[in-house]
Amino acid sequence: MVSASEWAAPSTRTELIENLVSGVDRYNPNNVGILEDYLYHQIRSQEYDCLANLAILKLYQFNPDLYNPDVVINILIKALTAYPFSDFNLCISLLDERPFPTNPDEPDPLPSLLPILTSLYNLLQQCRFPAFWALYRSEKAESLRDNYTVECVGFEDSIREVVIRAVTPAFKRIGTERLATYLNLSDDDLTIYIEKLGWSLENGVATVPPNPDNQIASTVVQENIQLTQLSKIITHAQVAV
Amino acid sequence: MEQQRKAIWEADLDEELQDVDLGLAIGSYGQNEIYSDVQSRIDEATIIAVQQQMAQQAAFASIPDVVKRFIIHFHQAVLENNLSEITVAYESGWNRLTEKFYSKTEWPEAETIAPLVNDDPIFLILYRELYYRHVYSRLQPDIDDRFHSYENSCELFNYLLNSDGPVPLQLPEQWLWDIIDEFIYQFQSFCVWRTKVKSKTDEELQLLSEASQVWSSYSVLNVLYSLIQKSKINEHILATREGKSADEITEIVGEYGARPLYRMLGYFSIIGLLRVHSLLGDFTLALKVMENVELNQKSQVTRVTACHVTTYYYVGFCYIMLRRYPDAIRTFVSILNLILRMRQYHTRSYQYDQINKTADRMYALFAICNALSPSRLDDNISNIVKERYGDQFAKMSRGEEGIPAFEELFLYACPKFISANPPPYEDAELLQGYIEDPPVEPAQRHLSLFLSDVRAQGPVPTLRSFLKLYTSLDAKKLAGFLDADEEQMVQQMMVMKQANRSVSRVENGDGLLGGQTISTSDIDFVIDGNMVHIAESTVGRRYAGWYIRNTEHAQRVYDNIKNSPLPPAQRPKPADPTQTTQSAPAQAAAPKTGGPKVAWGGVKVA
Repeated sequence: MVSASEWAAPSTRTELIENLVSGVDRYNPNNVGILEDYLYHQIRSQEYDCLANLAILKLYQFNPDLYNPDVVINILIKALTAYPFSDFNLCISLLDERPFPTNPDEPDPLPSLLPILTSLYNLLQQCRFPAFWALYRSEKAESLRDNYTVECVGFEDSIREVVIRAVTPAFKRIGTERLATYLNLSDDDLTIYIEKLGWSLENGVATVPPNPDNQIASTVVQENIQLTQLSKIITHAQVAV
Repeated sequence: MEQQRKAIWEADLDEELQDVDLGLAIGSYGQNEIYSDVQSRIDEATIIAVQQQMAQQAAFASIPDVVKRFIIHFHQAVLENNLSEITVAYESGWNRLTEKFYSKTEWPEAETIAPLVNDDPIFLILYRELYYRHVYSRLQPDIDDRFHSYENSCELFNYLLNSDGPVPLQLPEQWLWDIIDEFIYQFQSFCVWRTKVKSKTDEELQLLSEASQVWSSYSVLNVLYSLIQKSKINEHILATREGKSADEITEIVGEYGARPLYRMLGYFSIIGLLRVHSLLGDFTLALKVMENVELNQKSQVTRVTACHVTTYYYVGFCYIMLRRYPDAIRTFVSILNLILRMRQYHTRSYQYDQINKTADRMYALFAICNALSPSRLDDNISNIVKERYGDQFAKMSRGEEGIPAFEELFLYACPKFISANPPPYEDAELLQGYIEDPPVEPAQRHLSLFLSDVRAQGPVPTLRSFLKLYTSLDAKKLAGFLDADEEQMVQQMMVMKQANRSVSRVENGDGLLGGQTISTSDIDFVIDGNMVHIAESTVGRRYAGWYIRNTEHAQRVYDNIKNSPLPPAQRPKPADPTQTTQSAPAQAAAPKTGGPKVAWGGVKVA
């Protein structure tokens, strides 16, 4: 799993972006282009920087005229792939309701796609991976696929990583049939995928390598007394002598 | 002395009025020079004050003498930068007089009392700060109050930030905190008020359509960021942490940051940002601005109790929205214990009610976190939670059916969220659309996001109760118990596994956003093909706390006894011969004490 500090400051973040994310320049509407370019760079090169994307949404929040639905949708797509971090909800938090259409000539695709994206996110939250793929491949999500996720390099693989992040801690061994439905892969592709993960495969059962979360042990937690807890008593003993 | 000082201030002010180039920290994007009419306003205010002096005789005469004396005295204390006198006037005088004369009406207008303070513009700004705060807390502010309190805040910050060099003013820390706190409160109050379009009069609609920059998010953030930058507070914190010497620090923070007024305003502005970002729904940024602030008992946060409580409340809440429940729990436990401990000292403080209200909301949030991430509790806190929110807690611990309880507690305990932008007052047509189809309230939006996390975790409590009974069982059998098919059950297990893991802060590193994944549950399991294996962690009995408490208690008793004088020896009453024999042992012991001053302990040690 990605560590929290890598999440807060990915190593792929450039200095320019770091200054925008951490400084007061993040409020300057003139910088929205830089951040939007960075988002498209993330889309093309399978990078991800949640805080930089939140900075775009922040600018949209304060300057409604900057609002660009395509950018918002791309940010949400990226945020989907970050599960189990709650990036998706964090992004939605910044989308203030916009009750009035900004421009009637250019229909805003967000209102129609947002429910689908939210449903996809809820399925990931509930680890209902086969249902996720069914919805994702359905007609309902066609415009999402054709207009957006197709541009997002490695989107499906990123979702598979979300699956793997859920499977790895919960399983020691898992049937390939089940795993295939989670990953939405055919038998052959699954074999290659498992190999790439470095998992072993035997008689239709994949073995998940040992990790801190799938090694369980009953423990008794013993109390641990810190010296500071005893400082009063020890000090007192000294005074008494 | 008085004259001289006043002259300096006026000189400062004059210069500043000629020069309204503000050098705002984050730029005045989308703002039309918010401070630009300061000059005309102050001049006008002064002129009006003079002109109305006569007309205001009646108003002036109606001010009780004790209030007049108080204002003169208060003014004097501010002129002399006499912190202890200012504190007395601010914390007790003002509140006492409010209770006595102004519990249901405004204090006299600043213009009315101006003759008492030689029209000192700085004092009048401070006076208005208190005046409006009183209106907001005790009365119903009308639109003029809201606009004027904003203008007054601008004047105050303008004076602090854009005078020629740091201003010589000194104010108690409590007041500095209250200035920032009130500024944000009034901003939030205005944002909530302006969204209620239907109840506005025509005049209000007119004013709102013209004044879109009043209390704008940008202007509020600008003030906070400017104070942070001017005071170089972040540099100060870092330098202190690196163990730099006092001289080095003074050099780093510059002429502004070296002054307590600016340093504390800068510090409180960081907390202010935490709060504003939370209100606007930006929970990551809220924690990010806090990255240099250390949350521990030694931190500056603790110097003003109200600040301490506010900080922990918002940090804890942000952690909930980041689904970092263990961090939220730790934050709440730490501050709630502190509030319990200091209850005895604070019962009479005017802020005590406010602190208590916030504490009660934190108990509710604690109950929420604990339902979502059951953990070994702090006994003190969990007992109080059981007392106050026992019903809701029981419901929340049952998963899906507890949703209404989650909803109730969340709405009660969450911050008063605001929208970043006003309704479209400047466009009548859009405004009509807004009235007909109002957007979802911010609190409801955040609630529904939070509930989506709760719903996803819905099956966990039931699963947990079954797993507790076994060390291993067949997946099919477990599915049977749950009345679910096996696949559904396996998916729920993965949900449970993820719910039992959380990012949590490691000791004081990486700011508030950093952390590592930890396991949060005492029940753990793993699926091996078709078998589910379960392991439970138990906590060994804890003895240390009991022994430490009682040893300390024994030591206190021992010290007390040791320090008490011996009881005077009973003189035998000669009239009663039967007593003589009984008092003999006491008399025999008496010489050993060697005098009344020797304590028991001394004898024993000797």
